[in-house]
Amino acid sequence: MSVEFRNVVKRYGTTEAVSGIDFTVESGTLVTLLGPSGCGKTTTLRMIAGLELASEGRILIAGRDVTSLGATERDVSMVFQSYALFPHMTVVENVCYGLRRSGLAKDQAVVRAREGLATVGLTGYDERQPSELSGGQQQRVAVARALVLKPSVLLFDEPLSNLDARLRRQMREEIRELQQRLGLTVVYVTHDQQEAMAVSDRIIVMNAGRIEQQGTPRDLYERPATPFLARFMGESNPARGQVRRLSSASIRVRLGETEIEIGNTAAAEGEAKIAVRPEAITVEAAPGPAGALPGTISKASYLGTHMEYSIDTAAGTLFATCPRVERPLVSGDKVALVLAPRGVIVVES
Amino acid sequence: MASRAPLAWTVAGLLAAVALPWYALQEGLDSGAWLPGLWASEDHAGGLAQILVHGKWWLAPTLATLVACLVVSLVPATRERRGTWLVIASALGIAAFVAQGLAIGLRGWSAEWLATAFGELAGRQVGIGAGAAVASIALLALLSIGLALRGAFGGDAFVAGAITTVTASIVLFTAWPILRILVQAFQNGDGVFMPALLIERLAAEKIWTLRCLWGGGRCGVAWNTLVLALCCGAGTTALGLAFALIATRTGFRFKRTLRVLTVLPIITPPFVIGLALILVFGRSGLVNQLLDWSFGIQATRWIYGFQGVLLAQLFAFTPVAFLVLIGVVEGVSPTLEEAAQTLRADRWSTFATVSLPLMRPGLANAFLVGFIESIADFGNPIVLGGDYGVLSTEIYFAVVGAQLDYGRAAALGILLLAFALGAFFLQRRVVGQGSYATISGKGDSGLPTPLPDAARRAAQWVALPWAAFTFVLYGFAFVGGLVKVWGRDYTPTLDHYAKAFSIERTADGLLWSGAAWNSFWTTVKLAAIAAPLTAALGLIAAWILVRQRFAGRAALEFATMLSFAVPGTVIGVAYVFAFNVPPIEITGTAMIIVLCFVFRNMPVGVRAGVAAMSQIDRSLDEASATLRGRAPQTLVYVVLPLLRPAIVGALVYGFVRAVTTVSAVVFLVTAEYELATTYIILRVINGDYGLAIAYSCALIVLMLAVILLIQLAVGERRLGRRIAPPLGGRA
Repeated sequence: MSVEFRNVVKRYGTTEAVSGIDFTVESGTLVTLLGPSGCGKTTTLRMIAGLELASEGRILIAGRDVTSLGATERDVSMVFQSYALFPHMTVVENVCYGLRRSGLAKDQAVVRAREGLATVGLTGYDERQPSELSGGQQQRVAVARALVLKPSVLLFDEPLSNLDARLRRQMREEIRELQQRLGLTVVYVTHDQQEAMAVSDRIIVMNAGRIEQQGTPRDLYERPATPFLARFMGESNPARGQVRRLSSASIRVRLGETEIEIGNTAAAEGEAKIAVRPEAITVEAAPGPAGALPGTISKASYLGTHMEYSIDTAAGTLFATCPRVERPLVSGDKVALVLAPRGVIVVES
Repeated sequence: MASRAPLAWTVAGLLAAVALPWYALQEGLDSGAWLPGLWASEDHAGGLAQILVHGKWWLAPTLATLVACLVVSLVPATRERRGTWLVIASALGIAAFVAQGLAIGLRGWSAEWLATAFGELAGRQVGIGAGAAVASIALLALLSIGLALRGAFGGDAFVAGAITTVTASIVLFTAWPILRILVQAFQNGDGVFMPALLIERLAAEKIWTLRCLWGGGRCGVAWNTLVLALCCGAGTTALGLAFALIATRTGFRFKRTLRVLTVLPIITPPFVIGLALILVFGRSGLVNQLLDWSFGIQATRWIYGFQGVLLAQLFAFTPVAFLVLIGVVEGVSPTLEEAAQTLRADRWSTFATVSLPLMRPGLANAFLVGFIESIADFGNPIVLGGDYGVLSTEIYFAVVGAQLDYGRAAALGILLLAFALGAFFLQRRVVGQGSYATISGKGDSGLPTPLPDAARRAAQWVALPWAAFTFVLYGFAFVGGLVKVWGRDYTPTLDHYAKAFSIERTADGLLWSGAAWNSFWTTVKLAAIAAPLTAALGLIAAWILVRQRFAGRAALEFATMLSFAVPGTVIGVAYVFAFNVPPIEITGTAMIIVLCFVFRNMPVGVRAGVAAMSQIDRSLDEASATLRGRAPQTLVYVVLPLLRPAIVGALVYGFVRAVTTVSAVVFLVTAEYELATTYIILRVINGDYGLAIAYSCALIVLMLAVILLIQLAVGERRLGRRIAPPLGGRA
């Protein structure tokens, strides 16, 4: 394993930015730290980098205890949110910087830097000033600069937040492709759950300085352990329902006038907090099939690829997306909602 | 790597203790005369010999801790443990060094109670020399390394060293002298501690009397100082605001010329304006002569006194207020004014209800800056004050005059310091409270609203003649050096320049026979030594303050800001008190003048550095760190290249202010190390205006040349966008 946190705490004065977290990042995987702003994810990343030193606990990188070492002495490198390209150096000087500081001779450093620039597809940009490059190109220089040092761990701090939406998708695919091609160990910070799901092997969701849940993207989306997670990973409708256990692997959830049978091994019987994914709600014209949840459309918006509806029901106001845009419903229409079992989640019982 | 640095420093410290004279030498280190006496001569011996041969047992603890550090550096140990032991040993060493330095002086025990406690002491000691200095620096370095090894300061020995260096030097050369002046005020002539004495000194009638109000003579110097400062603050603020409004809110065509005004006071020795006023309004000045000639009115000395000093200060400090206020006026967002106008406010009520209230904190700030400049001013009151004494001149006469009353000088110094600090804290509160700055990064913020006509006319009627007159004064100051005797004989001549700067070719080569050469070269030499030190220390301090997080950071920042507010006169007197007795005995040397320059002007370097560094994204430093760049490499390869404008600024300020300063160094110069400004002041006091003016002009030319030279040497910073040009660094 490449990075290991053991009960790490970070305090600034009396406030705890990170309160006792444990996790490991396996070698060769891309792990994302995901959470809302102020959740401690960037502090955690900076503690891996050595830019912040932990107040308590131990940090191991490649099996070595680095808890009290500064950034310079750790075998990690980092791609910054602002790229942090040195504005007074050319592209190739930027990429050479870390190699030169590691004691490499100038001509060797330049050779390695050229290789690095080729890896990110920037051959021929050596003598440009960073300010002459586009945002995406600057991003690639920053990646090349971190990459050429062949670090045990490569860190990304919200690398895409300064790019426009189209470029963001392209860059995140490039980063993922590069990581898999070179077998890099990467820790990646973002607040965008879509981005996290697209690039990660595993996601660690943080909230208020603690780890809320960790797992694969599918785990987190389909089996969120807390209401926070259900809300944060994709959209969901909070609702209250009654749980009745059918077998050790399945339960029946009663929501308003409808009942759904779903797979679940943990939930206790009785009142529970339920999350319903908007895409799991099929909106039918009333009266609909037997057992459907009746409701009234209160808001309808046309979004090109799909419709968005707010529907008043006995289980509360539910938000649903519907791919059928050719026959839109309008406010006031009576509907019946059919819930797909995969989108109904017990988040707290 | 980690264990080599402590070893190197320990060895350096021990070598210095053995192979360098421990105490200061009369003849200086470079003569080499000390070499043969390194063991046997009490004056020349190294630290070890002082202990073993000359009975100075009190040095033993310091040397013992150095030996302990040697053991710690050689014995294998974990990082943390080595650090802990180094910290303990070096801290003990420093404590022992400081304690013996303070306790034992020229006459044995330096205080009565020490003698009674420990019995009479056979030995005595003079100021520390090269050996002691290197040994103590080594101990400080070891302390920093130890702290870094234990994980303090991000575990970086360089950062730890920089922080200890800056802290120690500020404590030694700013805090300690000021502490000394406080103590001095309580002591009588024999150094006996008498608390009642301060009250007696401060309560003196000469300071606080209000007799002038009911016509019975002059008022106390404290009142004089305060009244002058209040008038100066109010006047410079009003004039500065007028200039700022014209420059930003009218279609005035010569805005660039107005900007020149802001540069003038920086390169002008502080009494040049006073001299020029004498040429115009003095007894044999133009105005008096004109009145005499046309109406037969007897020439008067009315320029000497309150009105003269105030006039000179208004001329000298209005540009400073302008500089402060132009930022404030530009900071008022036009969007707000446009909003007011869309809400049915006409131009005048927009100005009165929106623009002016938004400028209020800026106006208060400008007022306090004028106030502080005025009470700290020494050049103008000494030239134009006449009978009107203020605190700074009063301190001067208490030290150099017939009175020779150090206690009184100290007491007056404390009073002046109290005024300055009072104004300083007020200013901090004003600036700190509710920022009204309305500049944002948002793109279009609208067009500045033109001034209402009445306000525009008022501003122009006040400011433009004033600006014109300022230029005229500078013109006279220049011409004054080119005529025989101002007021009597206006024959053009270069005599004054010749007298000051003549060079004769003799058989032995060039003879620098001009009267001014000695002080001129001393000034250039000392300023040239001081400027890079000032810039380096200031920028290092700025780097620490902006980029490092450590316990006591706020205190350190506050200390550097505080030394900004201490008037030069107080610093000068404080240096005399602090450094004319052991352990640091450097009065009368060039070193004390250089140190005074450095620590007087360092805060400017700090401010410039902080301003520039705050504009450089912190992630650049962090990127360098994650790319294996250690702190010193980050500083050299990343921070300094981006700081070029700030380096130029700090170097220029360091040099120019060293050349133009009077108030602090007037107490420190000697016949051997005479400075240009103090030489000129003496010429002025003797009425030799021609030479004084010629010399001042030469200084202005010198400073312009040096500014250009520094600009060329440091060069431009090469980069594209990302970083906005830094603002002028003057507070």
